[in-house]
Amino acid sequence: MSIVITNLSKKYGAETIFENFNLVIKKNKITGILGPSGAGKTTLLNLCSGLEQPDCGTIAGINFQSISYIFQEPRLLPWRTVRENLRFVFKEKSIKKPSLHDADIDAMLELVGLATVGDHYPSELSGGMRQRVSIARAFLYPSELLLMDEPFSSLDCALKNRLIDDFSKIWAQDKRTVIFVSHNEDEISRLAQEVLTFSDKPVQLLSREIRV
Amino acid sequence: MLLWALAAWWVDSPLVLPSPLKTLEGVIILAGDFEFFVSIGATLLRVFGGVFISVALGLVLGLAGGLNKAFYEIMNPFVSTIKSLPVVSVIILINLWIASGVVPLVVTFLICFPVTWTNVVQGVRTTDKKLLEMAKIYNVDQTKIIRDIYIPSVKPFAVSALMNAIGLGWKVTVTAEVLANALPSIGMNLYYAKIYLETDLLFSWTLVIVICSLAIEKITLHVIGNNRKEEGQCPLS
Repeated sequence: MSIVITNLSKKYGAETIFENFNLVIKKNKITGILGPSGAGKTTLLNLCSGLEQPDCGTIAGINFQSISYIFQEPRLLPWRTVRENLRFVFKEKSIKKPSLHDADIDAMLELVGLATVGDHYPSELSGGMRQRVSIARAFLYPSELLLMDEPFSSLDCALKNRLIDDFSKIWAQDKRTVIFVSHNEDEISRLAQEVLTFSDKPVQLLSREIRV
Repeated sequence: MLLWALAAWWVDSPLVLPSPLKTLEGVIILAGDFEFFVSIGATLLRVFGGVFISVALGLVLGLAGGLNKAFYEIMNPFVSTIKSLPVVSVIILINLWIASGVVPLVVTFLICFPVTWTNVVQGVRTTDKKLLEMAKIYNVDQTKIIRDIYIPSVKPFAVSALMNAIGLGWKVTVTAEVLANALPSIGMNLYYAKIYLETDLLFSWTLVIVICSLAIEKITLHVIGNNRKEEGQCPLS
């Protein structure tokens, strides 16, 4: 099974982003999408996540109830601690039987190097630490599809390298389907197993490259 | 204070302008009578009753109005009408229908509720759309979204509404007490001081109102500040 996008069209006013666009994305792989800024990569993720609806066409093979998203910015609740932010996306079944155990949170925080800041508020963390919380949230959430919209773009080089390593480690544990968009070729080449290159608007697939 | 003291010294007539010292003496004399505290207690009860009902209803209905456009469209004409009513007419009219003691409470509600409602609706509308998108992606249920995103987002607006309501509530309650002859009350003590030409008492009661108002504002800010500190946010200045 793959994610199959068929005859997708999307316009914002007079601006055409997609016109009869077709694409197949393989499951359980990290697919990187390269393209110029503002070309429509984020729009594709928003369409895949259900945040936006296509004007025409279909996107098949996505369970919209089972998606994680790492945004360009961390999108954490400023009034909740790191732990509470991670718990926020889980259903509360009951106090005695929570759907997310403390041990799971601790293990994930350990994995992303945030073991000591579980009870801190986002305002007490650096930008990179906040983004790592957002990565932890996306991986803790039991999704079939993970969407990533330039999650490393606002970080410095050392931190970016560290996070890419963290990401690879965490992804190797469950190998879920990942769609990762960026305009940075280095980030894509370090993470993606398949690299798609998009043209400017209206989007066309310029190349498809499989990397080992 | 210095200007006031100089003006009182220059006028040299406590009937026209009592000095700050004379005013303070008046407050101390008033405090020797148990009725003084009964009057303050009754007025405080009306202020807090009116403010509490306004803020509680303003929060609930404001949240509903901010989240639901149809409900907003139904509520907005009512709130606009209440806002445009002249306070004096409202006090006199309501006094025809209900007991004098309750009039200030009702009037305080009618003045403070629109402020709270408008602030809360604005708070809901300025909630960070990016957080709402995140919650939608992760299928967070609506109750949790309201509890963990909307209510904390609305909090600064509700606090501002509360501070406005307390400030307004005092003025409106005391005015309504005078016009509705509500007893016991600070307002009626002001009124008696005026008709018996006891200017020093008039100033003393005014000073009592100012002291109570400042004390309540400070206590409210302190409580809110502590609450914000517990949540890891900067305390209000």
